[in-house]
Amino acid sequence: MHIRGQAIQTKETKGGNPISRVLRWEASGVLLALVGLCAILAFVSPNFLNVYNVTVVIRQASFVGLVALGQTLVLLLGGIDLSLGACASLSAIVGCLMLTSAGVHPWLVIPLTALFGLSLGLMNGLFIARLGLNPFIVTLASGAMFSGLTLVITKGYPVRPLGPAFRVFGQGELLAVPVPVVIFLGAAAVLVWMLAKSRFGRNIYAIGGNRDAAVLVGIPVARIEMFAYGLAGMFAALAGILYASRMDAGQPAVGEGWLMGAITAAILGGTSLKGGQGTILGTVFGTLLMAVVSNGLSLLNVSGYWEHVVVGAIVLVAVLGDLLRRRY
Amino acid sequence: MAGELFFEGRNLSKRFGLHYALRDVSVNIRSGEVHAVIGENGAGKTTLMNIICGKVRPSAGELRRNGTILHFSSPLDAHRAGIAIAPQEINLCPLLSVAENIVLGNHSRGRFGIEWKETLHSAAQHLSEIDETISPHVTVATLSAAHQQLVQIARAAATNADILIFDEPTAALTDRETVRLFDFLARIRARGGAIFYISHRLDEILQLADRITVLRDGKFITELNPQQTDKDEMVRHMAGREVDSLRLQQSKSTRKATETVLKVHDLSRNQEFEGVTFELRRGEILAISGLIGSGRTELGKCIFGVTQPDRGEIEIEGRPVRHRRPADAIANELVYLPEERKREGIFPLLSVTENICIASLARFLSFFGLRWGEMAKTGAEYIRRIAIRTDTPQTPIMNLSGGNQQKVILARWLLSKCRILILDEPTRGIDVNAKFEIQSLLRELGAQGLSIIYISSELQEILNVSDRILVMHEGRVKGVIETSTATLERVLGLAMA
Repeated sequence: MHIRGQAIQTKETKGGNPISRVLRWEASGVLLALVGLCAILAFVSPNFLNVYNVTVVIRQASFVGLVALGQTLVLLLGGIDLSLGACASLSAIVGCLMLTSAGVHPWLVIPLTALFGLSLGLMNGLFIARLGLNPFIVTLASGAMFSGLTLVITKGYPVRPLGPAFRVFGQGELLAVPVPVVIFLGAAAVLVWMLAKSRFGRNIYAIGGNRDAAVLVGIPVARIEMFAYGLAGMFAALAGILYASRMDAGQPAVGEGWLMGAITAAILGGTSLKGGQGTILGTVFGTLLMAVVSNGLSLLNVSGYWEHVVVGAIVLVAVLGDLLRRRY
Repeated sequence: MAGELFFEGRNLSKRFGLHYALRDVSVNIRSGEVHAVIGENGAGKTTLMNIICGKVRPSAGELRRNGTILHFSSPLDAHRAGIAIAPQEINLCPLLSVAENIVLGNHSRGRFGIEWKETLHSAAQHLSEIDETISPHVTVATLSAAHQQLVQIARAAATNADILIFDEPTAALTDRETVRLFDFLARIRARGGAIFYISHRLDEILQLADRITVLRDGKFITELNPQQTDKDEMVRHMAGREVDSLRLQQSKSTRKATETVLKVHDLSRNQEFEGVTFELRRGEILAISGLIGSGRTELGKCIFGVTQPDRGEIEIEGRPVRHRRPADAIANELVYLPEERKREGIFPLLSVTENICIASLARFLSFFGLRWGEMAKTGAEYIRRIAIRTDTPQTPIMNLSGGNQQKVILARWLLSKCRILILDEPTRGIDVNAKFEIQSLLRELGAQGLSIIYISSELQEILNVSDRILVMHEGRVKGVIETSTATLERVLGLAMA
């Protein structure tokens, strides 16, 4: 059965050889690009394909990846959340202060920070879903407020040190897999299940595909939208606090680079900005692709400044490729 | 009356991959002529028209005007060659004014940019040729579907083209507006314009056309002379087999409908409808007839909870209900199928199966989440039961024809076990066969105890399918007629009064 999890957009589902079936899958392009790039790098650079380097790449990807997961949910609804980077920063700072100033137990800090991020996201959702305001504008405004508040609280200085008991979340490993990676992939797995097999998930695709019809079919559109923005905030907060744990410091600007990265990852993975189309798996591959590009450039001793140029070019190629794939 | 032959398409073909949407079709047209093109959905009518108006490039064949070969690379080229189309789908800029939509791309320009006064004046003039009740200054989004259709027709006429293509122009119109449109067409003919006319309404075509071309499966079937043909022959050519009649066998329930399922008392909503009172009985099909703007759609939406009434009560099986949102109505097993199927009914990217199951997902939940296997089984069952034509149950619904999309939406609510169904123009833009199938299905459902409110502009259809007819005029109920004693004239008389 091919319907699982995907917003279906292929012309036919039966028949065809395995290759053309893979090609019809919307995340196929990014997967091919990822595999191809890895193959080239493995060939060109002896330092690419070893346990240490792969671990570094995936761990680096997992922070943006968490933000991208939430962004994908929102994009599937036909919305967008521009506040996620700032939400990650503010949540991280609040989490760190819980630890250093309020003396909250290190094990409680992560869930409490996630809850804080959830509430920030729900606030966005309240304005967007209940009051019907434009998501672009609401999250642009709330993002500005979040990053402003971060600076007000910290005056620009990092919050540190966080202590060895807390570092385990960012630096520790679970069965040789870094904890952030476990959390990222775990969250992705839950979302894959949710989008394929829960009412909430299917309703997200329905709302993104045709909001008016969703209302008339009796789907609680506003509630679902609010919750999706809430989840996006929660994942961003998780990314922020895990990164702080890894760095042993709450940096006020930690999430700034993540917002665009997260949107890019989702788009590379085949998520439509119009909503209703996209997959979590595609977003995961998109995130990994960007991390591999960054890693590959530094292995090949190319200046880090080139990274954005290359990623931008890849996005354009991806969009063109998708266009060609649809025609075919 | 028809003049010289001045435009023709020769051996036109259009291929998409391996599939021919149009194969070796030739058509021509004379000045002052109405040339009707008929065929079922998917017969290639729209493709043919899209080639003529420059929207689609043919894979083979050529277009000639007065003997010169034309090459269109865009609709703009066709405009320059004097060809304009009023497409079936509404294709206007909703936030611009009516006037600006009519002159779009056609503004009169002076030395200091657009001459707005002149522009608006000419737009108003073109509009008044068709309908003077529409104000040229309002934004298009505030107009009803019918009025938007009229604006679109005015826009095509405003290009001063002498070959006009009308694709289902009357699908959204009431009888009165249709009459006005026909007057307008007559004027175009009188000044030597030529018209390609596509419609599913065969009566109209018999009345209007000078020639009829029948297409089926992308191929030319025959050319008919309206003076020497009838509806049965047209349908036979379109379907490619004998269809004994368009009329439904009068299988109307003999048992007198007993209990009242839905009772609406004195329902009013400002500017929309006033003091509406009626009863719907179990297993009955109650048609609501009336001109566009008579408040039919607004009434349906209000009962369903999309809007709130200012006054009045609704009772379902003797219990007063209040629908604050559609979900409340659905919980009371009352359902509304919207007029605008594309915009409000279907989830275009989702599969047929999911479109069927989307309103009943709770039923497929297990501890481990949705049971896709069960959903697929249910989808396949309904596809078989009401003969939905789709490649596979997983095909996205947007790949289906209009009639089959409508069946999917019906299946959605059959699955959700609703008791009261409000259908708003359920057969608009659907070909003859599918229309017939949907009507038979509705009758069958009625016999099984489903109560149906059937809102439609097509009087003949209402007479065929309903048990009683409620006629509305300017927001008020003008009368309720038993269909067995109703005639077209009587219903129309009430509606226009």
